[in-house]
Amino acid sequence: MRTLTTDVLVIGGGATGAGVLRDLALRGIRCALVEKGDLTHGTTGRYHGLLHSGGRYVVKDPQSAEECARENEILRRIMPHCIEDTGGLFVVTPADDESYADRFVAACRRTGVWVEEIAVSAALRREPLLNPRISRAFAVRDGAADSFLATHANTDDARRYGAQVLTYHVVNGLERVGDRIIGAVCEDLRSGEMVRIHCAAIINATGAWAGKIAALAGLQVSVVAGKGTMVAMNHRIVNTVINRCKMPDDGDIIVPIHTVAVLGTTDIYVPDPDVYSITPEEIRLILDEGEHLIPGVRRMRALRAWAGVRPLYREEDATHDRDIPRTYRLLDHEVRDGVAGMVSIVGGKWTTYRLMAEETVDVVAHRLGVTTPCRTAELRIEASAQPAAPLRPAISHGSAARARFAILASPFYMLGHRLAEVEADDSYGDLVCECELVTREQLEAAIESEGTANLDDLRRDTRLGMGPCQGGFCTYRAAAIWHERRSARYGQAAGAAPATRLLTHFLQERWKGLTPTLWGDQLRQARLDELIYLETLAVDRLPEAIPDETIVTGHAAIATEAG
Amino acid sequence: MHEAIVIGAGLSGLMGALALAEAGLRPLVLAKGHGATHWASGTIDLWGKDERSPRDALRSIVTARPEHPYALIGVDAVADALARFRAVTEAARYPYVGGMDHSVLLPTAAGALRPVALLPITMAAGDVRAGGEMVIAGFHELRDFYPPLAAANLAAQGIAARGVYLQLPPVPRVRDFGPRTLAQLFDDPAFRKQIGRQLRQQRGSATRIGLPAVLGVRDPLGVVADLQLLSGAQVFEIPTLPPSVPGIRLFNVLRAAIERSGGRLQIGSEVIRAEGVGHILTTLCSEAAAREQQHRVRRVLLATGGIAGGGIRTNDAGLVRETALDLPVRMDVNHAGWFAPRFLDPGGHAIYAAGVAADDRLRPLGVDGWPVYENVAVAGATLAGADTLRERSRTGVAIATGWAAGRMLAAYGCDATRSY
Repeated sequence: MRTLTTDVLVIGGGATGAGVLRDLALRGIRCALVEKGDLTHGTTGRYHGLLHSGGRYVVKDPQSAEECARENEILRRIMPHCIEDTGGLFVVTPADDESYADRFVAACRRTGVWVEEIAVSAALRREPLLNPRISRAFAVRDGAADSFLATHANTDDARRYGAQVLTYHVVNGLERVGDRIIGAVCEDLRSGEMVRIHCAAIINATGAWAGKIAALAGLQVSVVAGKGTMVAMNHRIVNTVINRCKMPDDGDIIVPIHTVAVLGTTDIYVPDPDVYSITPEEIRLILDEGEHLIPGVRRMRALRAWAGVRPLYREEDATHDRDIPRTYRLLDHEVRDGVAGMVSIVGGKWTTYRLMAEETVDVVAHRLGVTTPCRTAELRIEASAQPAAPLRPAISHGSAARARFAILASPFYMLGHRLAEVEADDSYGDLVCECELVTREQLEAAIESEGTANLDDLRRDTRLGMGPCQGGFCTYRAAAIWHERRSARYGQAAGAAPATRLLTHFLQERWKGLTPTLWGDQLRQARLDELIYLETLAVDRLPEAIPDETIVTGHAAIATEAG
Repeated sequence: MHEAIVIGAGLSGLMGALALAEAGLRPLVLAKGHGATHWASGTIDLWGKDERSPRDALRSIVTARPEHPYALIGVDAVADALARFRAVTEAARYPYVGGMDHSVLLPTAAGALRPVALLPITMAAGDVRAGGEMVIAGFHELRDFYPPLAAANLAAQGIAARGVYLQLPPVPRVRDFGPRTLAQLFDDPAFRKQIGRQLRQQRGSATRIGLPAVLGVRDPLGVVADLQLLSGAQVFEIPTLPPSVPGIRLFNVLRAAIERSGGRLQIGSEVIRAEGVGHILTTLCSEAAAREQQHRVRRVLLATGGIAGGGIRTNDAGLVRETALDLPVRMDVNHAGWFAPRFLDPGGHAIYAAGVAADDRLRPLGVDGWPVYENVAVAGATLAGADTLRERSRTGVAIATGWAAGRMLAAYGCDATRSY
């Protein structure tokens, strides 16, 4: 067993954990983060990408609305490369209660959420597919956020200040001595090695899994896992975030994000955040409700559906998930349970992750006697990551163009800049994923980056396979390039079994999200993908893949979306 | 009045059109676009679900699965279609080799071994059972083919293989090195001379060299011969990700044969509706450039493909429809049972067996079990009864049913007996 010592251990590699890690690091506190899968493996990587203006909560949950409105402005300032300023609209459709609109506007004024009523004709000019029968429209400062990129940006920045990030490390136990938690025992899923981490404090930032972690220390934290299902359409049917102007409910929002638009969401209680499935009724509901905003949406091409689990903290009995406040709670287990050494941060939403981190670290820093104030609201997160050295000279020319878009040499990306680079660089021939404009160089850099264990991790880094063909063309290419990088690293031809595992695992990961919305053109596409993999490549006849511990594909600890 | 119209320009439509053209009926082929020829590997696969020979497998299917497309037409009709197919490709100097007696195992671009019944001669030296060390060679610039991975998987199966990359000779600036672009480069003798020299250097002790299937569009046999001469080894093609150069060649060969016999192809015309009198289809309506056109017709061959080709279409409510003539579709499983949990499930996904049921003259059947139209035949992936992709019989079913449908339609109106 390996032993590691740090001051603060953060459990959970989602938005909150990454935000906490950066906050700790900026205050000069020695810290490490453990995540059982890849970064953003949980709810952060499975949400629609809305940067809340606060408008959604003004009537029902004013405190959340205020927090969102403030944080919205801060995030736009500190990580502009992760946010697209789409703006948002709240529209009153014929199916909505007209009296809500006035209450909505009054509540916006009360809570400080910026709002401006615009003419219906102006709204329709801006979004031509919008239901022409809407009666009122309100502009707000909603946006689209890249939660994958933002999480990496936070952890990368934290690393610059000395923080450690351990992905594929699952916490199997918390070490408790009397009324004090002194550390955690983790398993490195890639080596099978156990790692003991000693620390002065633990921050449980595991969202819907917070109850499971607290239970390891014999503590009870009641987190309601509210499953939210979303459907991605294959293009940006809107360029503005569109909300129904009514009390928040199922299927009342469309978020344009990168190349797609996401219809959301449902809210269904699930007893276990690791065990849930998407039902046909949910898909029907989302498309039926979507028709009120965009008539004809059900005949458009849906790419896939997925679900994330909201971490809603249940203080007392709420009858319905949507009645639980969306604000967050910091649970100081020393005060609450008489057990020192751990705090849990629960509830909240992506837009307020930074604020949640700030409050959490304030408490923990105080306990550690650190008085350095929080600086995460002021210090901009620099967008950079070290690219891996190219395996071979790039085919493309135009390094001047690359210098102009320095971020693009990293495995990550910024909205809109990808096409700009590809065009400036004349590098069309170097695309590995045509749907999402992922170049070979970006893919190779992502393969070389720390903690990447499979093609699904590469997807979170680069958007590989997230477009219309859902991995049909890029899965083979990415698996083959992975194989070549590995051969280059070890200086001899690598075995092919790991590549086979990567390939079949990624095809299966894509398939899981495809089936709920598989009909029409998307079914044609899936059949073409079968033709490629079964007929042309015959991957089902490849020699049996031998388990490779450095590629984590099927460990029970990170298997989700069962059934 | 058209004597015959074929809807669809995939393998089954082209074979059907060839039969109708050779019968002197001057068929018109109306197609929305190109068929799966341009997407798939260009080989003809009769059977690959198990290790039986195609002939044995087909014989047992005819008795065991009477609704299978092979069973509708019988083994002799399959043999007849293969013979004609081989003759046509041979006459076009792009011969296919092989037959029904055994499958050839060819390496894929992933390094798997794929059973194939008929293959273009440009792939023949890839037959793994022929023995001999292989070099798999490709280009960094071609993102649709990776020699090291293919070689590593072949090696894992006991086949001596080594993956190498070649230097692309200086060429006019091209943005996108897809298979088609490279194939056009290989049409240039100077280009292949440079490649041939590199192959000689890289070959080592290998006796055969596998290259991506991009060895020219116009004269692939000439390219292979040149490369063999220069490299001193046998050279063979391995199919790449789409678009498929061998598929494009095959389309060109069949198109030329149809046109020589008096047929005509009109790509870009989608048949959207049919009108008929009783059990006779009389008129087809097609749409091109947003203009509708009516075609009076005596015989129709429906070869619009299945789910992938667009001949069979589904919607969110779980409805399954035949798109050109609105024929009844046989689908035994409801929406909830369309898919298996695993993408690569060996049993496949139930939805892909959906299609139009047909009688032994390939006439479309109604729900009552009687032909909907007497003068219509259905061929290829539009037919119900098999997931031909899982069986590795897709192209075999396409050419066999296409040819049989064309022959039987040609005879329509000539025979004295009527079915009812």
